[in-house]
Amino acid sequence: MAISPRSLHTVAAAALLGLGLSVSTPSQALPISECIAPADPGGGWDFTCRSVGKLLYDLDLVDNPVKVVNMPGGVGAVAFSNVAGKRADDSDLIVATSTVGITQIAQGRYPGGVDTMRWLGMLGTDVGVVLVDDDSPYQSLDGLLEAMVDDPSSVVMAGSSGVGGWDHIRALMLAEAAGLPDDQIGSVRWVQFDGGGPAVTQMMGGHVDAVSTDLGEIAGFIKSGDVRVLAVLADKPLAPPFEDLPTAVSQGYDVTGYNWRGFYTGGEVSDADYRSMVDTLKTLYDSPEWKQVAERNGLVPLWRGGDEFNAFVRDTADKVESISREIGVIQ
Amino acid sequence: MTVDVPSPASHASALGDRLAGAVLLLLAIAAWWHARTFVTGFHQAVGPDVFPRLVCVPLGLLALYLLVRPGINERWPGRAALLRQAGLLVLLGGYAAFLEPWGFLPATLVGSVLLMRLFDAAWRQALVSGASLTVILYLLFEFALGIPLPDIPGLGL
Amino acid sequence: MEILGFLLHGFAVALEPQNLLLALIGCAVGTLIGALPGLGPVNGVALLIPLAFNFGLSPTAALILLVSVYYGTMYGGRISSIVLNIPGDEPAMMTTLDGYPMALKGRGGEALGLSAVASFVGATVATIGLTLFAPLLVGFAIRFGPAEYFALFMLAFATIGGVTSGSFTKSLLAACLGLLLGTVGLDPASGVSRYTFGWYELYDGIDFIAALVGLFAISECLLFLEDRHQTTGASRELGSAIPGMRRAGACKATIARGSLIGFIAGVLPGAGASLGSFLSYTLEKRWLGRQGDFGNGDPRGVAAPEAGNNAAAGGALIPMLSLGIPGSGTTAILLALLLSMNITPGPLLFDQQPDMVWGLVAALFIGNVMLLVLNVPLVGLFARVLRAPSWLLMPVVILVAFVGVYSLNNSPFDLYVMLAFGVLGYGLRKLHMPAVPVVLGLLLGGEMEFNLRRALAISGGDWSILVGSGISVGIYAFAATLMVAGLVYAWWIRRTPEAG
Repeated sequence: MAISPRSLHTVAAAALLGLGLSVSTPSQALPISECIAPADPGGGWDFTCRSVGKLLYDLDLVDNPVKVVNMPGGVGAVAFSNVAGKRADDSDLIVATSTVGITQIAQGRYPGGVDTMRWLGMLGTDVGVVLVDDDSPYQSLDGLLEAMVDDPSSVVMAGSSGVGGWDHIRALMLAEAAGLPDDQIGSVRWVQFDGGGPAVTQMMGGHVDAVSTDLGEIAGFIKSGDVRVLAVLADKPLAPPFEDLPTAVSQGYDVTGYNWRGFYTGGEVSDADYRSMVDTLKTLYDSPEWKQVAERNGLVPLWRGGDEFNAFVRDTADKVESISREIGVIQ
Repeated sequence: MTVDVPSPASHASALGDRLAGAVLLLLAIAAWWHARTFVTGFHQAVGPDVFPRLVCVPLGLLALYLLVRPGINERWPGRAALLRQAGLLVLLGGYAAFLEPWGFLPATLVGSVLLMRLFDAAWRQALVSGASLTVILYLLFEFALGIPLPDIPGLGL
Repeated sequence: MEILGFLLHGFAVALEPQNLLLALIGCAVGTLIGALPGLGPVNGVALLIPLAFNFGLSPTAALILLVSVYYGTMYGGRISSIVLNIPGDEPAMMTTLDGYPMALKGRGGEALGLSAVASFVGATVATIGLTLFAPLLVGFAIRFGPAEYFALFMLAFATIGGVTSGSFTKSLLAACLGLLLGTVGLDPASGVSRYTFGWYELYDGIDFIAALVGLFAISECLLFLEDRHQTTGASRELGSAIPGMRRAGACKATIARGSLIGFIAGVLPGAGASLGSFLSYTLEKRWLGRQGDFGNGDPRGVAAPEAGNNAAAGGALIPMLSLGIPGSGTTAILLALLLSMNITPGPLLFDQQPDMVWGLVAALFIGNVMLLVLNVPLVGLFARVLRAPSWLLMPVVILVAFVGVYSLNNSPFDLYVMLAFGVLGYGLRKLHMPAVPVVLGLLLGGEMEFNLRRALAISGGDWSILVGSGISVGIYAFAATLMVAGLVYAWWIRRTPEAG
């Protein structure tokens, strides 16, 4: 549409409104100035970038507002290849990621392995949960898993990831812990929906039997009593209001399944810059404001940073790779 | 333009339809054939190859029908018009290619001036309007909408 | 009635002077953003969310501002659809079919006015439906499983012959092409990449907006270059919006049917506003039969999809608010908006935060009224824009489209996609093949495929699940009836040539 003189007034008004919101900064070796969200606006990675970027500025950890760039594609592969190829030594850039991204790497779906990037830290985590409808015949995790072991195709499970995605793998880890033989693990029926909410709704409509997904997204259904939680995949019981939900560990299945949110940066960033970025994120994590933002969005604040985080990422990738091999997602 | 009742004089022979039918038929066959590479290790009731193949069947059949019984086409343009159209595509392709290496401001300035020339503006008009358009777009996206545009390398603009 | 009390309270809040001013600003800014080809509600709202917070607005005020921007961008999309034949977003596509021919006849202002009134009525019907039937409709919506959704998409493609007056074969062919193009990208269910040939940029599939803008805007420019002495597509005179608003009275039956169909499509979370506007148009065309002149600037061809689209947007609030499921792209934005304000939609929202829910409903309503009022001066403004010489207008449209599409993903690749679709769109026009089914295939193909695969994953590969429920059998029967009726109608038209 052409810009006529009259509409310029509107533009000017909009520009006035937008001042202080979007000043692009020169790319010098300042602390974090840009965050890539490898997804469209509105998703989890976008939220991670926007909330952390805003807090970094609000807490005066950076001099200028952090610019958020959405770079969707290939569940993060586009951003990954972009950073590896063009911006590997860019020490003012952070990229949002999560367990979902690591799963993709472990299954060889990114152009490069874990070592391509430097892993900065995780700031919080969502917890996996297995649930059924409130009038489902399955009263406990034992009941569900027994039925699965008896006849793997008798239970239809659903979640927000595809076959071999994190929701699916977490569910299969449980089935495996219950004694489902490796050669039958592929017969468990798995249905993918566009998110945890749609999966739960379809379960309420009687179209699928059980759902494996993240707690944060479907917390409303738990509070309203429309669903029955069979297990949360955490080490220990959660904080209120979810303290009464049974963990899988307490029921004798040694399975945990977190979905953390964190950041990486290019692989050629110097040690000194890397350390200062990790410190910046740690300071942010320690602030009460972050705890508030995290909890409001269904995340449990949890910190792993620097070398510890690097080792953790590597370990997660190894675990996912081995189970993906067992179920045949990768050869 | 898109009005669906062209005068009979604007109808060319149905060569275009036959050509399109042939191309789409080949596309359907190629797509069917390429779907054999969509394999998963994990058993799925309907794998990733089924739906594309299901679509290829009507696509191929309808394309074949078009090939045999073509319908109405519009007249295709003459050489001068084709040159102008090719010019537009080359210009826009070039703009896309230079947007990131040059940065938004210079690429858009050059692009808009040439584009206006292509649409028969005088040089003076094109330069003035192109420059204003570039600046307005920059201010609109970069500041009013807060959408970052590619910077000029080394300048941060 | 308790609900009514909350709703009245919501309106009382929304009608405070500060909130009315915010609604006015939001609608005006939104209209401007939406009228820029390639920029739509996603950009408008996503970018203004932080702004609402910087201003320290109260939650209700922020909601009113953002909802107004959202409505503004939707309406802005109609303006470029009608005036320039370039849909601003997916649901606006159907509006080009009769809106642009109306503009060609110098009745663009009338089309804009009519579209505003139809939108308003559609949204109002949806608001009333939402107020009265929300709990009931949730129960209906969850009965739709994957097999039922698949049937719904089959219905959409069975009616595709009704999209344009072109040949049925060509419409179907275009739809198949769109469906095939829609499979490009990473298959989310298995992680296998399809038809990407190693390009990571294609892993998320072909970007709808890039394809849409290419098919409509770039092809328009290519066509224009063919004969440089013709005028730009649209007539230079738009006329006034007032007669359009009056004409809405004559279209009231159309608007009512469109609203109803749109509302039902909206309530089903897998269907969304695009399907709502699409079905409203094609079913209305079938309904009117030879009384209509769809595709050649029939005002009812503008009224039906506009009412349907807005009723669908309103209906989609039901699953969004009560189940937390964004049924369409547009409600996904509203969901992000609510989440950013610390409101988690879900089964408890209606009970726990009724003031918020009904405040939102009131905000939507105010946004619609504001657009209706703004319409008159806006038509004048856009009429002035159209008087710009074509050497200025065309390049400006192209460049804004370029920058808009580039900014979606920050990827030059999308620009090449847009150019490729521009060439495709040009070819389609020359072949008298409609472009709308291509976009529909691209848009709906993904959901159609996944619902098919979900259904068969549930049944373990037994295809009979597709006709396993009364709902899906009913939808198939309806689709078959329409298909047969369409063929009979086409045959009848051929027999009586005077019915052009």
